[in-house]
Amino acid sequence: MRQIQPRRNYLGAVGWLWAGNYKLERYLYILHRITGLGILLFLLLHLMMTTVFRIQGQDVWETTMSILHNPWFKIGEYLVVIAFVYHALNGLRLILQELGFLMGRPIPPIYPYRDSLRKKRPWTIAMIAVVVILALVFFYDFIIGGW
Amino acid sequence: MDMDKNNQITFKVQRYDPEDDGTPHFQEFMVPSSQSMTVLDGLIYIKENLDSSLVFRTSCRMAICGSCGMLINNYPHLACHTQIEEFHSNTLTVKPLPNLPIIKDLVVDLIPFFNTHKSLKPYILRQDAEEMENPTAEYAQAPHALETLLQFTYCIKCGICISACPTSASDKLFLGPQALAQCYRYCADNRDEGEQERIPLVDTDHGVWHCHLAAACSEACPKGLDPALAIQLLKRRLVSRAVGLGKKQQPSPVVLPPTETKPKVPFPEFTVKGI
Amino acid sequence: MRNTYLRLLQLVTGILIAVLLGVHMVLMHLDAILGFFGVDVKDVTSWGSMIERARQGIWAGLYIALLAVVLYHALNGLRNVILELTPSARTERVVTWAIVAFGIVAFVWCSYVPIALLSA
Repeated sequence: MRQIQPRRNYLGAVGWLWAGNYKLERYLYILHRITGLGILLFLLLHLMMTTVFRIQGQDVWETTMSILHNPWFKIGEYLVVIAFVYHALNGLRLILQELGFLMGRPIPPIYPYRDSLRKKRPWTIAMIAVVVILALVFFYDFIIGGW
Repeated sequence: MDMDKNNQITFKVQRYDPEDDGTPHFQEFMVPSSQSMTVLDGLIYIKENLDSSLVFRTSCRMAICGSCGMLINNYPHLACHTQIEEFHSNTLTVKPLPNLPIIKDLVVDLIPFFNTHKSLKPYILRQDAEEMENPTAEYAQAPHALETLLQFTYCIKCGICISACPTSASDKLFLGPQALAQCYRYCADNRDEGEQERIPLVDTDHGVWHCHLAAACSEACPKGLDPALAIQLLKRRLVSRAVGLGKKQQPSPVVLPPTETKPKVPFPEFTVKGI
Repeated sequence: MRNTYLRLLQLVTGILIAVLLGVHMVLMHLDAILGFFGVDVKDVTSWGSMIERARQGIWAGLYIALLAVVLYHALNGLRNVILELTPSARTERVVTWAIVAFGIVAFVWCSYVPIALLSA
């Protein structure tokens, strides 16, 4: 029988932005969430542009396109492309690991402990390397080729 | 490291007294420390010599009871298992475990945590109720069948994984890595037939699918349990039941004890190597 | 098993998006590299090129398929993120119905446009 009301102590959604001294996989989770929500915002703008502006005829379309050829918008588009590349490749890694494929088997917990995500860290590093390579490829074409 | 001579360490401990109706605040204590002294030794020194109103849980002081989980320098540790030298600093910040309600000072309320664990039926369930209640013999389980879940049986219910999980921090109805890992431990047990009863309990709007593999639970677990692996294997089970693939495991039969004695067999080697 | 099916559909649409949107992005943005491979796309965002693509049924079909999978994946993801903030049961129902309604309206409107432009 308790008379004291225990005090609520949730950390809240701040863990979606900053993870203190936890390791890489938690930051990959944060970045996955941020890129997902960012792409959703871009998607709403993009759908509006390609429907409302496209159907109103050539003048509106060409005015919009000339506004969008501004370098600042190009950089914004590049960020969206990088966000998509990261979200897609991290998503592929999550699909494989959540269905148990790249996770290894349960091992007897003998000290020093190594959990399965740290053991399979090479796969995560390979995924990040592919993201970086694709970012450079798109950078060449977007920023350098586009100018 | 200059810890051979006695050093003065500052402990910033979060205090909270519910009867004062105050808010949590920090209080500083100077604790003389020596080599290989643990954070729990420091807290006991404070309670014995400096301020006896400090409240915390402790029992075994050897990382097997799971009582002394605390947030030390913003990372959840077992206080008895964490040496002051590890932090390489003269200031330690000790707070109670987050995501669990605070009763007083460093003591958190573990009743909701235990209730969530109990709600997922963490015991062997079989169709034959008579055999379960009044057993006549034991259920067979081969060593290689035990190895698929041995790692997850070492849980000491300390609550550190709940504090580390980012989903537990924001979603109050989330089951938590501990309950889900124990649910997998019982579903994967070849003596158990209760998987169909447990699946509707985890496949809810706030159940296993809110885990997004941040893997902070496995990183912080003091016993090396890897709840993240258990949860992903549970998801694999749910997906194979949903899609219809995967072979149905026959529950293990009842075996009577052998009547004739055999020479003692040596303990078998693990089929999966540790490191 | 309802949540398992929803989540499984999100994984499947994720893979489909990786393919379809990858094609969309490569065609829209990688002019120099495609030129290196011998594929000449001209200026994809100009009116002429856009109208030419809008008349071909295959592009309209591709866009509608991409729209369907993207809307499902994004709105299901948004719903999961909002539900993690544990609103009350009534708010959960309201949010779910709002997202479903938005998804249906967006799909109907945004697939009307390529079909209407097919005969432009």
